[in-house]
Amino acid sequence: MHRVDVTDKGDRVGDGYGRALGAALRRAPSTLRRDLWTTARDPLPRLTWFGRLPHGHLVLLAVFAGVAKMAEYSEAMNGLSAPVELLVILQAASLVLALSRPVPAWWLSTLSLILTAEIADTTVGPDLLWPWSMWGIVVHTFVVLLLALRVPPLVTAVTFLLTVLSGLGSTAVPSDIAHNEDLAGGTLAFAIAAVVGASLRLSRVARNKLVEQEVLTAEERAMRTVLEERGRIARELHDVVAHHMSVISIQAQVAPHLVENPSEELRENLAGIRQNAVEALTELRRVLGVLRAEDPAADSVRHTPQPTLDRLDELLDNVRATGLSVDNATRGERRRLAPGVELSAYRIVQEALSNAMRHAPGAPVRVETGYLTTGLTLRITNAPATRPVDPAALPLSPGLGHGLLGMRERTAMLGGELVTGPTADGGYEVAATLPLDTPKDGT
Amino acid sequence: MTGGTIRVLIADDQMMVRQGFTVLLNAEPGIEVVGQAVDGADAVAKVADLSPDVVLMDIRMPGTGGIEATRVLTTAAGSTVKVLVLTTFDLDEYVYEALRAGASGFLLKDASADELAEAVRVVARGDALLAPDLTKRLIAEFSRLSATPRSPLKDRVGALTERETEVLTLVAQGLSNAEIATCLVVAEQTVKTHVSRILVKLGLRDRTQAAVFAFDTGLVRPAGH
Repeated sequence: MHRVDVTDKGDRVGDGYGRALGAALRRAPSTLRRDLWTTARDPLPRLTWFGRLPHGHLVLLAVFAGVAKMAEYSEAMNGLSAPVELLVILQAASLVLALSRPVPAWWLSTLSLILTAEIADTTVGPDLLWPWSMWGIVVHTFVVLLLALRVPPLVTAVTFLLTVLSGLGSTAVPSDIAHNEDLAGGTLAFAIAAVVGASLRLSRVARNKLVEQEVLTAEERAMRTVLEERGRIARELHDVVAHHMSVISIQAQVAPHLVENPSEELRENLAGIRQNAVEALTELRRVLGVLRAEDPAADSVRHTPQPTLDRLDELLDNVRATGLSVDNATRGERRRLAPGVELSAYRIVQEALSNAMRHAPGAPVRVETGYLTTGLTLRITNAPATRPVDPAALPLSPGLGHGLLGMRERTAMLGGELVTGPTADGGYEVAATLPLDTPKDGT
Repeated sequence: MTGGTIRVLIADDQMMVRQGFTVLLNAEPGIEVVGQAVDGADAVAKVADLSPDVVLMDIRMPGTGGIEATRVLTTAAGSTVKVLVLTTFDLDEYVYEALRAGASGFLLKDASADELAEAVRVVARGDALLAPDLTKRLIAEFSRLSATPRSPLKDRVGALTERETEVLTLVAQGLSNAEIATCLVVAEQTVKTHVSRILVKLGLRDRTQAAVFAFDTGLVRPAGH
């Protein structure tokens, strides 16, 4: 059944991928348009190791490249014209803009490149690279890199193509004078920037997904632990209920024997009680069957009745037998409490002792039980560990749950309070208060 | 059995259950509750004292549990006491363990007074399996899961005659002596003799044990396997 599930899921996942891919392809033109016509802020994040150092360097590079490009054109054109000055400044500024808005920055840089080439077309000599000047290529390379770091690879590829096409467009227009025409160097630089940026982005995305997945898995695991613990508690309580039900069914049969000449009404009434108890037991058996199927540990504890505080001494003796020093004190008079409280109290002490043995091996433990009029108090304290913790230390007995989690669930179920934490002397304390609202006569 | 009255001991850690079953069984003709025990060790001591015919034994008791007590009682030399295991709601491997430990049958605690009395009588008589269908299913289910090697016992199957093997198979199917007699077209007394011989040859105490043996050794295969 399990295997069927897996295959099933696998198929569905495959299907899902197929469908998602189809949908993505259908959406591609509109997605692309949206991605290319965006002015949305997408700031380059602080880096883990370098902080904002790269940001600063890019701004410096923008200033330097701007100045250098000015000099480049000034020389090639024998003096700058106002439009060229403006375009050089705009392209340098696009590198700064790329830190926060990569897509508009790319448009700005590309348009600057095209317009500068057009304006310079009639004036530059063969000294200058054309249509892209050397410093123009440097700035645009970094703009492409910053863009590729943040947009999907498809968008990067399209912008790269558009850049190259704009260069081809510039060279396609017949010119009056000879140029040092070269597209190869720029294209290579842009391609490297695009590939490097896109790969860095992909690895970052994969890493983020992995982190996300890990968080999810940890959450799932925690959830499963809670559910397992609740399942165990539910099983134990249903078990107790089933025992009581079977006693009810026996007593309902016995009752008519206890009076002379029981009336027909009494017989019918008792038969009804028995009938209901038997039906309830049938349902309980089903519930228990389900709960047990989920809890393999249940097997080993099934042949003994669910414990009560009557067996606390037995538990402490077992712990002492392992060589641990256990001190025991009871305040108030021992009296029988509701079965759920008895069972939970026993389990809390058991879990606390087990924790103490695992986390503070060799440390003396003190167990205090207090029977108050309003509730039962439990306090289990241990001194600091006297031996290093043995990771292979086994739980005290089979059927034990998940330590603090189990104690918390059990206490919460009864509407009680649980306080746990280190003590001043370096030991550990578990203190629980369980309210008593359903006292019960001894049987 | 003394004078036709079946003497019963009840072992259960809950007083309400002990008292309840005592009242119900004492109300039945031919059945007398001679004592009560609060746990397994107590049951073993009381059986030695009172020598009852049947012990109603709770599986889940603190201290010495029902399975262990059953094993002690049924393996004691010269013991003829029959153990009827009581379970609150489990028809599981613990009941099966109890049967393998030597119990003659099992009963749910919420059984009716009639079922209870009938169970005590069937177990005391020993000529049929108690709740044959359920018992057979339980044994079949868990003998498959049980990994205990039974090879020394398996050899003993060879000691049985062909007829005896046939009878053992039918016993394991849950058939009573009368039913086996009809099936094999022989007198019921003949079947009785066969069954006794089988038990002696295999060193088993009753037909429930014979059924467990038959499944464990693979003489009888659970349906569908």
